[in-house]
Amino acid sequence: MFLWLENTPMALWVSLSYWAYPLLLSVHIIGLSVVAGIFSMRDLRCLEIVREPSLSLFLRYHRLALVGLALNTLSGLLLFSSQATVLIESIPFVTKMVCVVLASAVAFILNSRLHATGGRNARGLKWLAGLSLCLWISAIVAGRLIAYIF
Amino acid sequence: MLMTFAQSLSETSLHSWVVSQAWLWPTLEVTHFFGLTLLIGGLLVVDLRVLGFAAFSPLLATYRLLPIVLVGFGLNLTTGVLFVFGDPFRYAANIGFQAKMIIIFLASANAFYHHLRITPLLSSANLNAGAPLIAKVSAAVSLLAWTTVLLLGRLIPYVGTG
Repeated sequence: MFLWLENTPMALWVSLSYWAYPLLLSVHIIGLSVVAGIFSMRDLRCLEIVREPSLSLFLRYHRLALVGLALNTLSGLLLFSSQATVLIESIPFVTKMVCVVLASAVAFILNSRLHATGGRNARGLKWLAGLSLCLWISAIVAGRLIAYIF
Repeated sequence: MLMTFAQSLSETSLHSWVVSQAWLWPTLEVTHFFGLTLLIGGLLVVDLRVLGFAAFSPLLATYRLLPIVLVGFGLNLTTGVLFVFGDPFRYAANIGFQAKMIIIFLASANAFYHHLRITPLLSSANLNAGAPLIAKVSAAVSLLAWTTVLLLGRLIPYVGTG
């Protein structure tokens, strides 16, 4: 199946076009800064590392973070397709995928909790925020290490 | 001139140390990614709020995130300097890196201007109608400049060298 994916016209375009790979990496790093950036600000606020802005502000920014997540799912899928058979056996890559999926699930739970209380207090959100922060940190570490460990 | 400078960096003991530690480079890269996440993540929240996003929330409250932004900048300045010491000739000759440094300088100048002139203006102004135009221009410049920095950094391995 991964061999098939590598030979689709989409995957071949990514691996053969001179600019496709750097272009997708550029999109991917913009998406990273939006998703991990916004969610880490929300997490640091939930953990009361900073006392302001209000938690309700992050209900609005959550949607923007989801745009970043969509951008990275798309660019990530294209990047993956060009090296699918290698990446699927890469420990850092698989670790990154697990972390991103879990972190996204935590983001939705945290957001619905924030929504339920109108963002009035951070009680009960701290451990979720801590977990989210750890997962995004792990995702970035694992993602960066794909180039180093195979 | 840049090459002479690179030559002198390559003769420092810091250079020898950076290149002798096998795990240092990937550790610096990972830290550079954490730094950019804090820097751009924080500025995204602040600058978009100035531009009118999430207008229900008090504008200056988002400025409490700025110390986190500075932590991110500090991380990336430190790791960035170590990158340059570790591989001086590569960076000195790289157009992407040179352009990145110029844009960082411009973005920092804009940040100083924002801190010295615009923040006091926002503190005294009635913000019911949103931030004044000059504040919005500065916020837009900030977002545009840091995004460019991000892209130029990412493209360093791909753009021409000299």
